[in-house]
Amino acid sequence: MSKSSRRDVLKIALAGAGAGALPWRAKAAGPTITMLHESSFIKVFDEFFQKTLAPNYEKETGVKIVYEITSVGSLPARDSTVIETGSGADISMLALLFPFLYQDKLLDVSDIAEEMGKKQGGWYDVGKEAGMVDGKWKAIPFSNIGQLMNWRTDWFKEVGVTKFPDTWEELYDVGKKLKAKDHPFGFELGHGFGDNHGWLYPLLWSYGGHEVEKDGKTVSIDSSETAAAIDFARKFFKDCMLDDVLSWTDVSNNKAWYAEQISCTNNAESILWLAKRDFPDIAKVTDQALNPQGPKGRFHLMNSITHGVFNFSPQKEAAHDFLKWLMDEKQLGAWYASADSYYQPVLKGYDNAPMWDVEPRNKPYRDAMATAHLPGWPAPPDRRLAEAVAKYVVIDMFAKACSGSSTKDVIKAADSQLREIYKAA
Amino acid sequence: MAIRSEPFIGVASRPRRTFSLSEWADRGTVFSWLMMAPPILFLLALVGYPFCYGIFLSLEDRQVAQPGTFVGLANFVKDAHDPVFWQVVRNTFVYTIVATLLKMVGGLGLALAMNQHFKFKNMVRALLLLPFIVPTVLSTVAFMWMLDPAFSVVNRMLFEFGVPKPGPSWLGNPILAMFSIIMINTWRGLPFYGITLLAGLQTVPVELYEAATIDGASGWQRFRFVTLPLLQPIILIVTLFSVIFTFADFQLVYVLTHGGPQNATNLLATYAFDIGMGAGQLGLGASVALTMLPALALLIVGITLYLRKKT
Repeated sequence: MSKSSRRDVLKIALAGAGAGALPWRAKAAGPTITMLHESSFIKVFDEFFQKTLAPNYEKETGVKIVYEITSVGSLPARDSTVIETGSGADISMLALLFPFLYQDKLLDVSDIAEEMGKKQGGWYDVGKEAGMVDGKWKAIPFSNIGQLMNWRTDWFKEVGVTKFPDTWEELYDVGKKLKAKDHPFGFELGHGFGDNHGWLYPLLWSYGGHEVEKDGKTVSIDSSETAAAIDFARKFFKDCMLDDVLSWTDVSNNKAWYAEQISCTNNAESILWLAKRDFPDIAKVTDQALNPQGPKGRFHLMNSITHGVFNFSPQKEAAHDFLKWLMDEKQLGAWYASADSYYQPVLKGYDNAPMWDVEPRNKPYRDAMATAHLPGWPAPPDRRLAEAVAKYVVIDMFAKACSGSSTKDVIKAADSQLREIYKAA
Repeated sequence: MAIRSEPFIGVASRPRRTFSLSEWADRGTVFSWLMMAPPILFLLALVGYPFCYGIFLSLEDRQVAQPGTFVGLANFVKDAHDPVFWQVVRNTFVYTIVATLLKMVGGLGLALAMNQHFKFKNMVRALLLLPFIVPTVLSTVAFMWMLDPAFSVVNRMLFEFGVPKPGPSWLGNPILAMFSIIMINTWRGLPFYGITLLAGLQTVPVELYEAATIDGASGWQRFRFVTLPLLQPIILIVTLFSVIFTFADFQLVYVLTHGGPQNATNLLATYAFDIGMGAGQLGLGASVALTMLPALALLIVGITLYLRKKT
């Protein structure tokens, strides 16, 4: 190799490295707040933030808001990266148990939450459950994406049912008749995230069962109440459902709904929303209802969305101020309204808001708030609970029973798993 | 090569030369190190560091957003007490062994077939790579539809052969679900085996086949005593790569079943992800992921030693 060609290689390499470094120099000036959000199923919801809320705030204060959207399901990994590296976002959407996992990295936003409570009709109890950690608000509850019953009115009518059954046993009777008419039910029993927890936790609770006591220490899954819930789930699966629900993930029941394969499922409002857009004939015969009640009451899952400010952000004060502005009734109400009622407010002040009149069939999602709880309730949310949820302990307990294992065996397996999880730390 | 034209001057009498960066960089050893440095740094930063950090994490009780405390092997002990962990280990081994064997046998068959002369040979060879080229997530979604009881082309065909509706629940039955993911992985990995072995086949000298034929060797004997021994090193290397890819597979399961039903298809990579990211237990998640290491390390060392011995 000649002298010049070696030098040329080095020059090219150095030039390449220099070019790669250029964007660092081109960093934008001025205050910028980055808010991380999972991509919304309702596109206009994200667009409203980007095209209306963010520009309005910039106009009022000069602070630029970057709305960074992550794909559905990638939020935990993205949040973990931001927290571990201490950079990347100032505010983030948080889901379910995140405020408890990330509590040490979240700014106390009690002032915002308390003012919101005072001005906007007061919080539902589940709001405190979702955003308050050790007496301090670490995240501002934004909404529940409720999981309720979706049913085909035309097929239910064929078996003489015009009002959604009030109890699980009544629903079972209807399901048995409908499966015989080739209109089975489809409730997810696989490893999705929303649609399995959405009905199995409420079912367990409505029979009086729970994983761990309120003290957060005593494992209490091994009970006659849990056994009753499992026995019900087994016959509900066998006599009312498709076999395939055992493998379902969150998209499966929607697919089956639009294929007119199932007559009842448990899902978010999105099932009707999409039907109205793409399958108007199915939308006409789709209705929604509260979860049925069991011997110990009626329950719903709090599929919560909250917002938190990272305390390591160099602009945490500015981020706090933005969140306060965003959570003001003027902005918040408009943001909710942009998505009809897909995001159900946790503040009582919105109970009679016009958003609920857009589609009256969505009103049960509002009414579910009073009986909603986070997964794992009544145990306080913490890392062990998060581990039990991530390991699908409750879901697989029910799924194994539906696949043929005995009630005693599945409870024993769940009990030993929970004891192992709760033994540590 | 540049030629030095200046006359040799004794060190003592030579005036002190100024240091020239360009000449220094031009020296053979320096230049080769300069060229080697970026990939070495790249490997250290993007492979070495995460790997060592993974080991470090697995020895800590480390929750996301909180400082970790050193706990030694406690995470591994906790894994050992977790029945799901053992189910996941079993799944991973079954998945890897069966899928790799299928890919090996199928890939060899494919290579032998592709080594024949037929019309549109080159186009067919190129098309064979499609499963490997299509992004895994995309092809997995296609399989999701194909195995769906309502829309399944598979069940539709079975129905034509007299299997009553709705047909087997390919992803709902634990055994069928494992069978399905193995089949999809095999479908995806077959071209890699096939094309690599085809390249190997083409290096086998024709004279050896001719000599064997003259000696009266049958088709099977030519394959057994000529093709197979000469292909062995390539088969071993492809197997090594395939085992590593299959053992650490994530996307297919994550998209198709997310480990369900009841963990029947949960693999070490997906289980580790759920614990590390879903539950925020970075230490415990790292310990699950690292259990892949001894098995893979043994395999890599074993195959490398064998190949070295052979050559």
